Amino acid sequence: VLDLLAGLGRFGAFAWRVAWRILTPPWNSEDFFRHAWTVGIRCVGPVLAVTFPFGLVISLQGLAIFDLFGAQRLLPSLISVAVIRELSPVLASVLVAAQAGSSYAAELGAMRIKEELDATEVMAVDSLRWHVAPRVAALMLVCPLLNTLGDVAGLCGGFVMAVGVKGENAGVFMANLWSFVHVFDLVGGLIKTMVFGAIIGLVACFHGYYATGGAAGVGKGVNDTVVRATLAFFAANYVLTSAFFGAGG
Amino acid sequence: MTAVLAWLGGLAWFFVDWARASLRCRPPPGQTFAEAYKIGVQSLPVLLTISAFVGTNLALQGYNAFVPLGGQHLVGMFVALAGVRELAPLIAASMIAAKAGTEMASQIAVMRTREQIDALEVMAVNPYWWLITPRLYGILLVMPALSLIAVFTTLFTSYCASVYQLGLNPSTFLQFARQATHLKDLATGEVKAIVFAVIICFVSCYCGFFSEKGPEGVGKATNRAVVVSCVICVTFNYLVSQVLYG
Repeated sequence: VLDLLAGLGRFGAFAWRVAWRILTPPWNSEDFFRHAWTVGIRCVGPVLAVTFPFGLVISLQGLAIFDLFGAQRLLPSLISVAVIRELSPVLASVLVAAQAGSSYAAELGAMRIKEELDATEVMAVDSLRWHVAPRVAALMLVCPLLNTLGDVAGLCGGFVMAVGVKGENAGVFMANLWSFVHVFDLVGGLIKTMVFGAIIGLVACFHGYYATGGAAGVGKGVNDTVVRATLAFFAANYVLTSAFFGAGG
Repeated sequence: MTAVLAWLGGLAWFFVDWARASLRCRPPPGQTFAEAYKIGVQSLPVLLTISAFVGTNLALQGYNAFVPLGGQHLVGMFVALAGVRELAPLIAASMIAAKAGTEMASQIAVMRTREQIDALEVMAVNPYWWLITPRLYGILLVMPALSLIAVFTTLFTSYCASVYQLGLNPSTFLQFARQATHLKDLATGEVKAIVFAVIICFVSCYCGFFSEKGPEGVGKATNRAVVVSCVICVTFNYLVSQVLYG
């Protein structure tokens, strides 16, 4: 337990130092855009490949429920609420944690093992500002964008299942799609994913930055990154969901 | 596109190679249970935490979706259907992929980097048999149990959230939850768990087995292992659901 607390404390200090470097100039904007671009490109495929089948499945199971009441026309409302509020932010973030988080941990870990980070420090370049801050900031930008794409893909999945496979009426589907969704749901999803992006970036860079023990150490860091980042943002998700859409909503 | 197809073909050949090497032999003695212990017991805390949060969120979102229709009492049904049929097995799979799958990938990739796999071959030990068989049998042993644990944790926490946070009636919740789910749904979850276990094991081991050497190679293999196994698991989840409920 003491180890756990010590680790959390170090993580807190690390997060604070990185946050400070994100907020104050000079910014390493070139690396920021480069990271945002590569992460975005590498995560688009997985995010779409996961949210689309998920839309199919919700539609399939939702129809099974609503058939009992003869309320098939409520299906699109359920799909849009579920996808936009919860599923797309969570799934997009899981994949970003798996894809981008682990690659950050691997990159920084390899740099630490090869003493490249020490070399940067020796050259009087602040390695947190130069290497870590642009990565975290890039994830905070890319996560909401991927979430938006995930929304679209999930809704497409729902549409394909309901209209294409089950033969519901396309006009009815489109008419009911937006009946329960407010702009606030979209914004809430974007805020959520931004927070998740920050969490994932910080956890990943923390594990990479303090990697020890050669190739095996890097592997272990990557492993821990995915698990801990996922844990952290699922916990954050519960808190944020309660806050945005909680019992009063 | 061709790269993806080539990769999948490689995975298929990997499976064939493994089957040829291992199906007729007994697994390496003693290792299967060690792997099962490692995969099962070490993943348990993570799995419990994640499925607890999935349960609470499911209840919150279900409540929000049904309140405009005046159907708060349906939350129990929604949670039971969504949790038991789809989410809990899938969440269990993605956490096992993140925890045990990455560990398999990074261990095997490290062995590749240190040329220990070549050393095994030099000693006339079949690496497929020695490295993959115990992991596969281990994950097959524990995965159904982990999936069941995830199902019940999800149900329990969503019950807690609905009753204590949202103030729903406990007996209505239980009644609707019981009405919605049957033994068949649990069995489907188990089928899914077994399918996911095979996918996770082979994808992770494949990524590790053919990784590039050096720290970046290990990192990349581990990275790819999680992403690809999650994507394939979600796709198969759809296929299994379509076949069984479609």
